[in-house]
Amino acid sequence: MSLDNFLNKLSGLVQELEKDLNEAKSISGLEEVRVKFLSRKGRLAEVMKGLKSLSEQDKPVAGKKANEIKDKLLRLWQEKKAYFETKQKEEQLKTFDPTVPGRIPDFGTLHPITLVIEEISDIFTSLGFDVVQGPEVETDFYNFEALNIPPEHPARDMQDTLYITENILLRTHTSPLQIRTMLSRKPPVAAIAPGKVYRRDSDLTHSPMFHQIEGFLVDKNVTMAELRGTLTLFLHQVFGKETKVRFRPSFFPFTEPSAEVDISCVLCKGKGQINGVPCRVCKETGWVEILGCGMIDPAVFHMVGYDPEEFSGFAFGLGVERVAMLKYGIGDLRIFFDNDLRFLEQFKG
Amino acid sequence: MLLSLNWLKDFVPFEGDIEELAHRLTMVGLEVEEIVEPFSYLKTVVVGKVVECQPHPNSDHLSVCRVDVGKEILPIVCGAPNVSQGQFVPVALIGTCMPSGFTIKKAKLRGEVSCGMICSQKELELGDDQSGIWVLDQEFSSLTPGQDLISALGLDRYVLDIGITPNRADCLSVLGLAREIATLFSLPLSMPKVEITEDDQSLDYEIDIPAKEHCYLYQARLIEDCQIKVSPSWMRFRLLASGIKPINNVVDVTNYVLLELGQPLHAFDRDFLEGNKIRVALAGQKQSFTTLDGNNRKLLATDLLIWDAKKPVALAGIMGGANSEIRENSSRVLLECAVFNPITIRKTARRLGISSEASYRFERGIDQLLSPFALQRATALIQTLAKGKVLKGLAACEPKPYAPRYVSFRAPKVSQLLGVSISEKFCHEALTKLGCKIESKATGWEVLVPSFRHDLEREIDLVEEVGRIYGLDKIEAKLPKISKTLDQTGDPKVAFLRKVKHWSKSVGLKEAINYSFVGSKVLNLLGLPEDNRVYVLNPLSEEQNVLRTDLLAGLLHSVQVNANKERFKLFEIAKTFFKDQNSETLCRENNRLGIVLAGKRYPSKWPFEETEMDYTDLKGILDHFLTIFVGKEVEFVKKQEHPFLKPAVEIVSQKENYGFLGLVKDEIALQYDVKNMDLWYASVDLDKVFETFQQYTLKFQELPKFPATKRDITLVCPLHLCVGDVFKVIKKVKCKILEDTCLTDIYFPKDKKVKHVTLRLTYRAKDKTLKDKEVDKMHKQIADILVKELKVTFP
Ligand SMILES: [Zn+2]
Repeated sequence: MSLDNFLNKLSGLVQELEKDLNEAKSISGLEEVRVKFLSRKGRLAEVMKGLKSLSEQDKPVAGKKANEIKDKLLRLWQEKKAYFETKQKEEQLKTFDPTVPGRIPDFGTLHPITLVIEEISDIFTSLGFDVVQGPEVETDFYNFEALNIPPEHPARDMQDTLYITENILLRTHTSPLQIRTMLSRKPPVAAIAPGKVYRRDSDLTHSPMFHQIEGFLVDKNVTMAELRGTLTLFLHQVFGKETKVRFRPSFFPFTEPSAEVDISCVLCKGKGQINGVPCRVCKETGWVEILGCGMIDPAVFHMVGYDPEEFSGFAFGLGVERVAMLKYGIGDLRIFFDNDLRFLEQFKG
Repeated sequence: MLLSLNWLKDFVPFEGDIEELAHRLTMVGLEVEEIVEPFSYLKTVVVGKVVECQPHPNSDHLSVCRVDVGKEILPIVCGAPNVSQGQFVPVALIGTCMPSGFTIKKAKLRGEVSCGMICSQKELELGDDQSGIWVLDQEFSSLTPGQDLISALGLDRYVLDIGITPNRADCLSVLGLAREIATLFSLPLSMPKVEITEDDQSLDYEIDIPAKEHCYLYQARLIEDCQIKVSPSWMRFRLLASGIKPINNVVDVTNYVLLELGQPLHAFDRDFLEGNKIRVALAGQKQSFTTLDGNNRKLLATDLLIWDAKKPVALAGIMGGANSEIRENSSRVLLECAVFNPITIRKTARRLGISSEASYRFERGIDQLLSPFALQRATALIQTLAKGKVLKGLAACEPKPYAPRYVSFRAPKVSQLLGVSISEKFCHEALTKLGCKIESKATGWEVLVPSFRHDLEREIDLVEEVGRIYGLDKIEAKLPKISKTLDQTGDPKVAFLRKVKHWSKSVGLKEAINYSFVGSKVLNLLGLPEDNRVYVLNPLSEEQNVLRTDLLAGLLHSVQVNANKERFKLFEIAKTFFKDQNSETLCRENNRLGIVLAGKRYPSKWPFEETEMDYTDLKGILDHFLTIFVGKEVEFVKKQEHPFLKPAVEIVSQKENYGFLGLVKDEIALQYDVKNMDLWYASVDLDKVFETFQQYTLKFQELPKFPATKRDITLVCPLHLCVGDVFKVIKKVKCKILEDTCLTDIYFPKDKKVKHVTLRLTYRAKDKTLKDKEVDKMHKQIADILVKELKVTFP
């Protein structure tokens, strides 16, 4: 075979391929073209067989040309393939459905009690309070005596107690943490103690287990005005700036003066009724009781070895369930401890 | 404490608005819990005048009346024998719902129309008389037809239900509240006039008090020839409005004076008292006593009793005895008026589970100086109501006379503690208004506190009083400057537990909170040990009588609530409790993380596959947890025996036990309604994890500079061989260039009792690119060791 003849055959392949590529309608058609031209038994391989019959002198030229043609064929084919692929993607994009459901990972949720405790803890830690914790099974001393509630004091009637032994009990409030913390530190002390508490009481509005947050500050010259300021700030953050705060004198054995704190009703905004219907949350009073507080009683300071002439302090305690009920509009206390998924999954935040 | 407004007005001329009164009381610490309308059911009952009364034409026991009710004259058919023309009677108008629950409707009785009902005392629940209709003009004057019954009879329209805090014993009476109201509204306070006509005959009675520290004062009066009968309406109505059931005139007087002055009294039938002597002494050998409610009470030697010459006749300060109570035919009344030690009364009352109006007040403290007046008041009332003859003089013994109490007070202390500027003048006025007498001394004031205020003992008590009168609500809000010392931080465990909660949420678990106590039945069902449990001494129920020793015991409640759902993944972080004699609380508390999984792996919807959760789901969560919070190698070891899991796996590391996991036994799951799905449970000891976590610090590792080479190896393993064992052997090789080993496949060929385990090993050197030959050599070496150590082959 002459060199010219060989080169013509090679060049001819280009036109043949272009023709076939033009006729190809899809990627599968394109695969047929590849097999026809570029496979081991394809048209290119067939022509290349002629290379052997060329003179040694012509072979380098022919070889070089053959490589060029081979590259060209491959390139043309690939260009066409890319064209088809792009076209196919565009077709697919036309039918792309952005509205199909996604693979949503499972929602983990925190219990509303936890949400409230964390929100309140964050507010108080930002003010400089430490978060502390202590045992849920307590001694009579920490739960009552050290808090100025001696045995046979009528104030013991304020809390129905679950006992473990005559002298050991399930703490009825988080106030023992006042004692434990003050005994282990010297003033200034600023701490809050969230946790479970227990009472021998179970009905529509009482649960034998519930959660409280105790807070207290002891330093030189701590005043009731500062108690009011601290609680007002906290209540505004939890219930909104427009919330009104009211202090009413009350009695707790471990604070004096003592006060109950009411906030303007979150449901009726303190009006007592909604569209003329009596408000069920505040029973028409426009106020709801939210926490108890006061100035730490000197008797408590004596118990922990602080000098009441040198230091003063305030303490407060609030029911977490109550805050959660008001904040989220939950009417039934018992729902907190059933943990029905339909309840839990509403707290995705 | 229920406060009758009519009664209040005997003491204070209060004419203001009830809402205003309620608000003001609430704002001085006497919280009005409710404004009660005790006779609201009488709103549509009016005074009627019978203007005509004819026998019923078709009945021989009915009368047909025409009754003037002001606006109109109503035809009413009446069945009472005592009805007659001209009477003033109570008429329940149509629509009235009677206390019995029956509603008055227009009716036809044997052909005669009847528009209302003429009522008896009993039907209106204002007395026991049901012999006939209530003829009002026999008892009341200036009645007019149409007048509503509440005002015609002088009944209380409103009664305040006031929550009295334990410190304010002085407010457990009309007088006490009247005092506060007089102070609040600057009104004069007047006391009832007491006049007694004493008989010439003198009282011959002795009071002997051996139990001196238990009884401070005992006085008695003897009233003879009493006529025991029903009390007059005014007294009955006041008692009813105050929530006390009227009984007879003498008993009612004791209750009346208790409510009015706060001093409990007791009336004995003198004819049942032996000898001329009252003794106040401890029970001693006496082991039981029958109180007037008929209950036989077991006594302790330390209980205080009132004795006659021979026998106990009352449980002091709590309840009288059945042997000497006033009966219908009683005639001689011995009236007791005493002051007892509050603690003595409280101990006995609490132990016996009695809370009487009397014991409630004795426990909180009585105004001893008022006690003689209370006796006079009651004596006078009995004389008037029972027409009794009051013997001259009284029997009395006062082992512990009231000692006036002085309290030192520094006025600047008020401003200092409250954080507002309150003048000395204000303090002076406030304390004086409250009944204190003030004497100025060099160091401050000596304040003589009134005898009725047992709660005023210290300076701080007076500070509170001034604050209360000033108004705690007027204190302005200020923020404190909180100073910190270097050694103070919050409890790191609190932060750790919070972190674990957030981690749990992040892996798709929902938080549950269950009661800490369960029934011991549940712990028994779970097969948990009995000897380490902490029991509640006085549980509310058998379902709450023991503290959880495993979180599952509580979580099972949540499992049951959600058993009907297709899937649930819950966690709980709470304490378990174990008996521990070495702890000051006799209890060890252990923070645990509990996880329960059950049901489908994904929600049943596109694009998720339909598969069930299995061991790998739970273990995956734990692997994730341990990586973050423990950060060191742990082993999952199969346990042969577990009380409630099968299979059960322990999480251990260097002999430390971090927890366990496994499948809850079917028979247990079934009891909590878990059917057709597996219930997986894990329990992690967070106190243990916390110890490790505190020591665990993150350190940055240099990024690799040279490429890695990956090689797969497939081993044919016996079925019982654990994948973990393969990993362990590879680890033991201590190959420096082996960076990572991971499992890529487990395949169980059909009909062969083996499994094919495919591992992917990643090789990399720190300082160079590895040559194929080097990797091949190492890879083969590892393969040979596996074959040798584990008896595995290659496919
Ligand atoms: Zn409201």
